Amino acid sequence: MSSTIIVLAVLALVLVYFIASYNRLIRLNVNVDEAFSQIEVQLKRRSDLIPNLVETVKGYAAHEKSALESVVNARAKATSATTVADVAAADGQLTQALRGLLAVSEAYPDLKASSNFLSLQEELSTTENKVSFSRQFYNDNVRSLNQSVKTFPGNLFAGVAKITSREFYEVEDPQDRKAPNVKF
Amino acid sequence: MQNFRSLQLANQRKTFGLLLGLGVLVFVVIYAALTYFGKTGVGLIPFAVGLSLISVWGSYWASDSIVLTMTGAKELAYADNPKLFDLVQEVCIASGLKMPKVAIVADSAPNAFATGRNPEKALIAFTTGILEVMDRDELQGVIAHEMSHVANRDTLVSAIAATTAGAIALLSDFIMRMMWFGGGRDRDQNNNQNPLALVASLIVLILAPLAAVLLRSAISRKREALADATAVSFTRNPAGLRKALEVLQRDSTVVLQRSTAVAHIWIESPLDSSSVSKLFATHPPLSERIATLRKMEANPIN
Repeated sequence: MSSTIIVLAVLALVLVYFIASYNRLIRLNVNVDEAFSQIEVQLKRRSDLIPNLVETVKGYAAHEKSALESVVNARAKATSATTVADVAAADGQLTQALRGLLAVSEAYPDLKASSNFLSLQEELSTTENKVSFSRQFYNDNVRSLNQSVKTFPGNLFAGVAKITSREFYEVEDPQDRKAPNVKF
Repeated sequence: MQNFRSLQLANQRKTFGLLLGLGVLVFVVIYAALTYFGKTGVGLIPFAVGLSLISVWGSYWASDSIVLTMTGAKELAYADNPKLFDLVQEVCIASGLKMPKVAIVADSAPNAFATGRNPEKALIAFTTGILEVMDRDELQGVIAHEMSHVANRDTLVSAIAATTAGAIALLSDFIMRMMWFGGGRDRDQNNNQNPLALVASLIVLILAPLAAVLLRSAISRKREALADATAVSFTRNPAGLRKALEVLQRDSTVVLQRSTAVAHIWIESPLDSSSVSKLFATHPPLSERIATLRKMEANPIN
């Protein structure tokens, strides 16, 4: 009698454990989706800032055509991307193009002093930060989902729940490849 | 290898150990009280624990509004300081936390704090001084440190520590008073008590409140170290927070209101100075925190 109670209790505990792990897997999967939509929100914000930026720069440095065009083109590409890899690639290009445009602007003191440009600069830098933090948050979430999908007991449910490990959001950025500064 | 992940884990373990220590201390005090007084001591325990619970948990529940009043902080709207709000939003995106209420304290000493009973009710406040002296990266580090307190639920942790320490203090206080008034040991029950056990339990009762305060301060220090590590996990930029702490180290002005009741919530303690023993400090020394952040700079995680 008492041994059946023990067996039932152990079975119940195992069941609760499996239900909890299954729910955890689902939750991690939803977190990844949410984190990705956060990246898209921030990319949209940045995209919305660009027409204003381009107009402002044009007013002072209209002949910097190549820098301006690469920003406009990269923005157009970014709006049509959908998969993680495509969005990341377009995002990387736009980041590069924006950096180029801001570097060019350095040569125009009037532009740099204009109040419109100054407020745009603050907005751009916070948006850049938000974009990169949302990427980081997404990758952290992907990291925990992938870990859970590949290890016990998550790997038991991944097939049933149709959850697979996800792609990291990787942006091609030559600046990231630079050797880190070492200070002694 | 010291990076933010290993440091977070280590500090979480240490807090757990210290909280466990406080719990054990409660049992030791109860045991000592029972040894000394026999059954008359039993009635005091729920009274001491209850009193401590009511006083601490009331302030925990309304922590955001109470602290606002005590520090004279004023809540801000986005339009009041867009740059500060942008920075807070950045850290929220990095941490996945909800946007907290943001407040400002009119005080020239650079400092900041976080409070609120849960992440949904969080409030972070900055002095006008800190907004003036710190650049973007430094402020981001400070905000990340404060949001880490929110993420790690430090208002709850410190409320638990305060309740336990408070209960121990009350209990030992009651027992001392009972002794002065010749309060009745159950002589009929304890006649065959070992006198050594009686002396030992008396010493425990005298020293317990001190031990509780020391444990409580140690917990506060571990939570500060943990918040520094968690902040780095949000920003991945230990240099920002390190520079911010260096600014605080160079600065000699101290937040005007030196209320001990809210001393533990600031990023830099307004009370701890060299005259206060390191064991009672609510914060680890700034130099130690800076050194730990430098180690994190040397071991980045990608």
